[in-house]
Amino acid sequence: MGKIIRFRLNGRPVSIYVENNELLLNVLREKLGVMSPKYGCGIGECGACTVLLDGEPVLSCLTLAVEVDGKDVVTAEGLAKDSELDVVQRAFIEEGAIQCGYCIPGFILVAKKLLEENPEPDEDFIREYIRGNLCRCTGYVNIVRAIKRAAEELKFHVGKNKQV
Amino acid sequence: MASSSLKQEGFRYIGKRTPRKDGVAKVSGQMRYTYDIYLPGMLYGRILKSPYPHAKIKNIDVSEAEKMGAVVITFKDVPKKKFNIRLVSADRVNYKDWEVLTDHPKYVGDYVAAVAAETEELAQKAVEAIKIEWEVFEPLLDPFESMKDGRPKIHNKILFGSKEITVKNNVACRLDYSEGDVEKAFKEADVVIERTFKTNRRYHMQLEPKVTVAKPEPDGGITVWTTTQTIHNTRILISQVFDIPMSKVNVKKLPIGGSFGSSIQTNLVTLVAVALALKAGRPVKIALSREEDMYEHSSYQMYFRLKVAARKDGTILAGELENTMDIGGHQIQAYPLLGCLLGWFVSLYKWKNIKYKGIAVYTNKVPACAFRGYGNPQITWAVESVIDELAEALGIDPIELRLKNYVGRGDLFWGQGPTVKSVVKSDGVPELLKKGAELIGWYNRPQPGEQKGRFRRGIGLGRGFHTSGAGGRISGEVIDFTGCILKINEDGSVDYITALQDHGGGSLDAHAKIIAEELGVPLEKINIIWADTQTTVYDVCTHASRGTYVGGEAARRAAREVKKKLLEYAVRLLGDVVNPEALNIKPDEELGQGVIYVEGMPDKKITVGEVAREAWQRNWGSVAAVVSYRATNSPPAYTVYFVEVEVDTETGRLRPVRVVAGADVGTVINPDLAAGQLHGGFAQGWGMAVLEDTPYDPETGELMCRGFITDYKIMTAQDLPKVDDFTVIFASTHEPTGPFGAKGLGEAALNPVAGAVANAIYNAIGVRLYELPITPEKILKALKERGLK
Amino acid sequence: MTERKFVKPLKPKVDVNRVNTRILPVEFEYFEPRTVKEVVELLSKYGSEARILAGGTDLIVRMKQRFIEPKYIVNIKKVKELNFIEDRGDHLAIGAATKLREIEKSGIVRKRFVALYEAVRSMAGVQIRNMATIGGNLCNASPAADTAPPLLVFEAKLKIVGPDGEKLVPISEFFLGPGKTVLKHDEVLAEIWIPYQPEGTGSAFIKIARVAMDLAKVNVAVALRTEEGVVKSVKIALGAVAPTPIRAYKTEEFLTGKELSEATLEKAAEIVKTEVKPITDIRSTAEYRREVSGVIVKDALLKAYERISGR
Repeated sequence: MGKIIRFRLNGRPVSIYVENNELLLNVLREKLGVMSPKYGCGIGECGACTVLLDGEPVLSCLTLAVEVDGKDVVTAEGLAKDSELDVVQRAFIEEGAIQCGYCIPGFILVAKKLLEENPEPDEDFIREYIRGNLCRCTGYVNIVRAIKRAAEELKFHVGKNKQV
Repeated sequence: MASSSLKQEGFRYIGKRTPRKDGVAKVSGQMRYTYDIYLPGMLYGRILKSPYPHAKIKNIDVSEAEKMGAVVITFKDVPKKKFNIRLVSADRVNYKDWEVLTDHPKYVGDYVAAVAAETEELAQKAVEAIKIEWEVFEPLLDPFESMKDGRPKIHNKILFGSKEITVKNNVACRLDYSEGDVEKAFKEADVVIERTFKTNRRYHMQLEPKVTVAKPEPDGGITVWTTTQTIHNTRILISQVFDIPMSKVNVKKLPIGGSFGSSIQTNLVTLVAVALALKAGRPVKIALSREEDMYEHSSYQMYFRLKVAARKDGTILAGELENTMDIGGHQIQAYPLLGCLLGWFVSLYKWKNIKYKGIAVYTNKVPACAFRGYGNPQITWAVESVIDELAEALGIDPIELRLKNYVGRGDLFWGQGPTVKSVVKSDGVPELLKKGAELIGWYNRPQPGEQKGRFRRGIGLGRGFHTSGAGGRISGEVIDFTGCILKINEDGSVDYITALQDHGGGSLDAHAKIIAEELGVPLEKINIIWADTQTTVYDVCTHASRGTYVGGEAARRAAREVKKKLLEYAVRLLGDVVNPEALNIKPDEELGQGVIYVEGMPDKKITVGEVAREAWQRNWGSVAAVVSYRATNSPPAYTVYFVEVEVDTETGRLRPVRVVAGADVGTVINPDLAAGQLHGGFAQGWGMAVLEDTPYDPETGELMCRGFITDYKIMTAQDLPKVDDFTVIFASTHEPTGPFGAKGLGEAALNPVAGAVANAIYNAIGVRLYELPITPEKILKALKERGLK
Repeated sequence: MTERKFVKPLKPKVDVNRVNTRILPVEFEYFEPRTVKEVVELLSKYGSEARILAGGTDLIVRMKQRFIEPKYIVNIKKVKELNFIEDRGDHLAIGAATKLREIEKSGIVRKRFVALYEAVRSMAGVQIRNMATIGGNLCNASPAADTAPPLLVFEAKLKIVGPDGEKLVPISEFFLGPGKTVLKHDEVLAEIWIPYQPEGTGSAFIKIARVAMDLAKVNVAVALRTEEGVVKSVKIALGAVAPTPIRAYKTEEFLTGKELSEATLEKAAEIVKTEVKPITDIRSTAEYRREVSGVIVKDALLKAYERISGR
């Protein structure tokens, strides 16, 4: 039992048949070829499967695919504009925030939303905001640095735009 | 790059921050891990596991599962062979007690059957449809209980090399060693301290659970994508177990979502996927769930009795260590670990008189395997605790006591055990201790137990090391071989082909920089190829912190060979140049590749690409090299951690306030990634010290957390010190045997953390605990018992 | 041959072969009602085989773990009447399907119900709080539910709707035991009514856990009103120290009319320890939970005291 759902995936409309008990994570990966959301625990503890659902970070491993009918889904694949990396993505590379990389798409989506919500986050804010994403490699230091750096760069760009 | 960007050492790339080559793929979600492999016509596999900690199958009925259309295999369908899933040791010293599937499971989660079906949902149903009649035995969950007479036998006959041996009292293996006369030393010493320690059983919690995709080939061979630290050993094992010629087994190298030692061995899921694919005649993917993965591997839990002695002046006279290891249901590397543990122990301090008794015991628990540091974090915690106690008893500053007795430059070093000896040639310990002490404010730290308030802070020091690889002068019991292929393409780009796996730490980026530095080719022109076993030469495994030191040296040698060829051909092409020594190579920004030139003669030049093209167009040969390499050293990468903790004496809660992490890695190749190793090492070490453990349900033999990370916590970003409170320092050393002076780091970055934390807790509250993890529950209890609250 | 001891096979607490958190290994019919009436109709029709899907962060996990296998899933995310935060003069009403994140962002909650704000902020990570609902947190009836202690000290009332209409249940009567509430199979928790506290009330929530993203070992909320340093009214509730979240009535009684001196706080902590009935599990020990209950009650009282307006 299932139904055809229609939603926007990284800016493009998709429609696809899904079973009632199919998880968004598996549909994205196995039926739509969007691989950046990762299975890490399946029970909402690690954040590796994070996607932006109508702009909010949620866990695709605990979201039924039937529920996203009519919604907007963004994954790490959808952040680059005209093959130009997003400022958050660049900051992660520049700060050496990536090791194995498995958790990184989840972190980047959460960081995107974090900066949208608070363009001048202090470190406590950042650390609290990303605590739902586990990383076993980096100890989070360079990840926090990357988010700070992205905030600085965004501020700089905003400032520049205002002058123009 | 202009010359102004050259570092003072004169390096173009080494030691500079450069974006990692896989960065774009990783941030844009396009990196493909094994978990991301989907093949046309692929079936989904699912494993039937033992729900009991120790049982035998009396009867198994798979007919219902087969009726659903599933391909089913049981212990009856797999080769009747015993083997060891880890092939890093010489075969003659390999204990073999594994089967692909078993009718005699030894822990909850042990594999007994497997299915493959069109969807994972169907595979799940098929697994549930298999009926088993069980005979269940009393589980043995404690190694000391397990060794007693009259307990159920977890194993009976196993193989040692090719010889069959009988296991007695569930003892997997032993290793004893002695040097000098400890008893005499204990009698003559001014201070003797004896303590017992118990470590935790940690779970690796690498973010990517184990996955394998196996695809049968029409020629009877098999292609395998799998989460592994070693594609070649995986290939060898598959070939041996299934009797397929090695040339027909191809194991692909893919990025791995963390490992930390949990895939030094070929995880059993790989063999099961191969067996299913061979039977189904179709590709099969098995992706373990997190809860399955947690039933797949853990760290070695160790029980130590440690006795040390010293003279009044601080000279250590003796060290005696008894090490009992709870290895779980199978041997992965228990025997080599008994040796390595001794190696870690004797290479920490100059004990002079040594006695060691190591014993590895089977229990009905998840098989233990290497976990970043391979026993070194465990023993370093114990030793660093006792060294602090010794310093206090002697009235000597802990830094001074360490400097007086540690194994350093010029000393005999056998970190990887008695068969791997070398002499220390680079040593940044004094520098790191001095700098670290200044940065943390060591000499202003409180006296243990002097504080009275609710929140008490303390500073602790932990010092340690890890080897860089497992190389040595003579051929020991550990294999440490590597190799690579380097090719210059006609556009001046370079293909670097190696089997060596990078778990994310950046070993391969380090190799690329080494090659670019050596060759004089722009770094961005070095392409790291995702190769496989058919197109690479043998590399044993990325373990023992050997990636940069061993693999990097192989890369450097390959670059040298290639460079030699380039210059020889260039001499011919340039006409009147006297010989290759008259030529240099440097990256040319405008041309985007390396240029071979004559100093002071701007017109005498030719690009690397032109040389490569001309060389094959004129039928001279390809500009390429195949190199194999065995290191004759495995030098220590030294690390020191100064940690400040705060203890809430009302709740027992701990907070890491500040960290100074110092590392002697010789030449630093990737500064930000090297720092990342220390950041990550601290996070894991802090978890080891105060949080992580996998206790078992004494009634059912299950993990208490049932495999769910709801109850296997690791540190989050919010639990760790702030960016500005975490200082990383590197010693200014140069390792003469390493590529451009470099050593390893990954494991050294973890090893001393728990010791530093334990010492900091003691410094804060005057209480020392001898059982990991040091939880708030234990702290509060200890404070109450001692009336210190 | 060594003697073999046969034991009666003990039933594993989780069946390793049935659990699969990679997929949702349970099949069900799925409904997306738009009104509470439709929800109740569906629940009445399918009885105990139906389950409400609110945030899914507990239900789907438990289905993956095979603790429950409902045949009918009633998704209430699209029921507008269950999703709101509304100032109703004497109380704040929160729809049961309101996401934790919405509650945390509400200015009124942050200003007037600090303990609830702190409790929600302490829960899980951002992603979970974007999914999980306050009603879900209550209806799962975990002894450790973080929203329960604040709602207990604010003496919230729960509006429950069933086939026979609606009723208001004080939250102190809602929980029956771990995973058990007074809700019947055909009833739905619709609204949480939180009475505004009298002027001069300060509140606080404190949670002790293993890491920053975790279930509580112990949690506590207090709501405190003082006059010239004397306790006029105090409510204390704790979680994870009994089969349900509890009020510490004896401690409250002891404190009422007293000055919050150090000695009084110490005594209060001692009384709290007699009121809790904790157990030992993988997260902590009974001994620790008891001891720390006293400590965090003291801490929360002081925190609440500092917050009382004018201070």
